[in-house]
Amino acid sequence: MAESPSASRLPDSADPASPRCAARIPPELLALAQNGAAISLASCTAEGEPLVGLGVGCIVAPDGTLRVMIGRAANVRLIAAIVAGRAVAVTFIATRDHSSFQIKAARAQYLATGADTCPEIDRQATLLREGLVELGFLPEQAAGYAAYDSNDLGTVVICPERVFLQTPGPGAGAELTA
Amino acid sequence: MTGLCIDALRRSLDGVFASLLATCDAEGVPNVSMISQVHYVDPERVALSYQFFNKTRRNLIETRRASVQITDPETMEHHRLALEYLETQSSGPIFESMKAKLAGIASHHGVADVFRLLGADIFRIRGIETVPGPTRPRRSDPAMLLAATRRTCVALDDCGDLGDLLDCVTASLQREFGIVHSMVLMSDPSSGQLYTVATHGYADSGIGAEVAPGEGVIGVAARENTPIRIGHMTREYRYGAAIGESARRARLVGEEAHAIAFPGLASPRSQIALPIGTRDTVEGVLFAEAEDMLRFGYDEEDALALVASHLGARMALLRGERAEAEAPEDAAPLATSGAVTLRFFPVDQSVFLGNDYLIKGVAGAILHRLVREHLATGRTEFTTRELRLDPMLRLPTHAENLDARLVLLRKRLDERDACLRIEKAGRGRFRLLAGCELRLEEIGGAEAPA
Repeated sequence: MAESPSASRLPDSADPASPRCAARIPPELLALAQNGAAISLASCTAEGEPLVGLGVGCIVAPDGTLRVMIGRAANVRLIAAIVAGRAVAVTFIATRDHSSFQIKAARAQYLATGADTCPEIDRQATLLREGLVELGFLPEQAAGYAAYDSNDLGTVVICPERVFLQTPGPGAGAELTA
Repeated sequence: MTGLCIDALRRSLDGVFASLLATCDAEGVPNVSMISQVHYVDPERVALSYQFFNKTRRNLIETRRASVQITDPETMEHHRLALEYLETQSSGPIFESMKAKLAGIASHHGVADVFRLLGADIFRIRGIETVPGPTRPRRSDPAMLLAATRRTCVALDDCGDLGDLLDCVTASLQREFGIVHSMVLMSDPSSGQLYTVATHGYADSGIGAEVAPGEGVIGVAARENTPIRIGHMTREYRYGAAIGESARRARLVGEEAHAIAFPGLASPRSQIALPIGTRDTVEGVLFAEAEDMLRFGYDEEDALALVASHLGARMALLRGERAEAEAPEDAAPLATSGAVTLRFFPVDQSVFLGNDYLIKGVAGAILHRLVREHLATGRTEFTTRELRLDPMLRLPTHAENLDARLVLLRKRLDERDACLRIEKAGRGRFRLLAGCELRLEEIGGAEAPA
């Protein structure tokens, strides 16, 4: 999978040139994203076809960028759309109480690597498994859903521009403003 | 025709795992959410639930395209479906089936309080993609269901009358499918109510218990003439409450003695109801339930729908085979002792044995008619033909289900261990056997006792 030209320039707190993200995400939602959330991503082809994929974990950088890990083989077209500079959306759902939020950005970066994050992704996958079992899923089902191949990880780096609450009920779809 | 077929992926459409749904607006801005169910419509179409007017909805109306990722709960295989929005249905079998299923799923996912279904969005499948990733071997074998269905149909073919047929089908569900709790309800064309004529696996038989059309999975299956299946039960579809409400609406509040308790499980997690009858008419419902989640999938629905269909065909055949001339079978005399008073209330055709409620409606009117004639003439043998022709019973011209009512009456008398019994006396004939002195009181115009 080809990387975007800027893939090697991840924005982080150590990089003075990195832009700060336009949308600030409340700490409780950042905690949700990094603690066993079910993660789904979407982008769009140039022809307007929606693309969907499953994320396996998320790490938030100090400057507010989110690094969402995905399986490379499972998301070839989604990654191609991101590399081509198409818009991206990511939704995080807490399995325990179904609270959720969605971030959107006009573009994102893609890194064809993510193996260095495995200890943290393992921790998040364990939390996801436990949350699914609490919901009533069989342990083998939960383990299957949270499974990932550490040699097949890619990273989508997103600087959120807009944030929406998605928790079902009143307020669902409301945009968070800075 | 797209040539695509989603039949092999139906396990992924049961809502065990939430599916991922992505849409885009006209500018290519994506939106992604998790959805509780992708409903199978036919090999080339699926339906998604329309619950809120949100960004997904606006995108669908704008671009008519969606991408959905589904998960097989057994193998953990993921597939992506490229979908084209066709229309929204807000009534009918697909809508009702989704509504019932969504109620259960919403409860399972802890969001029952926001449950509602505004419509069933119908999509054509434009593409199916297998998502690479870790998978697990499949354990279940649909071929076993096919064999079980065949053996059940053979067993039904051996039944010579309706009572045997009804008992056979519920027993076969346990023997062949491992379904412990099941029942058959028949439809009363005059009232629309469904009344229970056979049950299996319950502590109390509940014979005679009624369900109103549209109530719970049974009532919805009958009203819509379509199978209804729930894998995560919820309060909205539990029958204890439904029966209570039904009784209240029928102005039976304060007359609880008239209501026979529905025999359903206290905490079912899976229920399935399948109409019995033809494409146009519903004669009854075959119902099964379990305490396990997701006990009945699409394959079980297919198998049980075939059983229900065969049951309906056998019922029709037995009706056609009625012969009035067959020699009566010998009666087993009852020892006579004591006395009992049958109290008949024309207001609702209810019959009480002493002070204990027995039956109401057409079955009550039949018993009253038999006992009245028995006391007047000493007659004990009757034919179904004379009952059909008796204007006092007010049986509907078509689909009167007389045999089912006689089965119901016979089982209620047997259950009460009453000194009164009804026995078969050959095809089209039956016998009233009294083991005690009978007295009959007709409470004309009076209200039934509380």
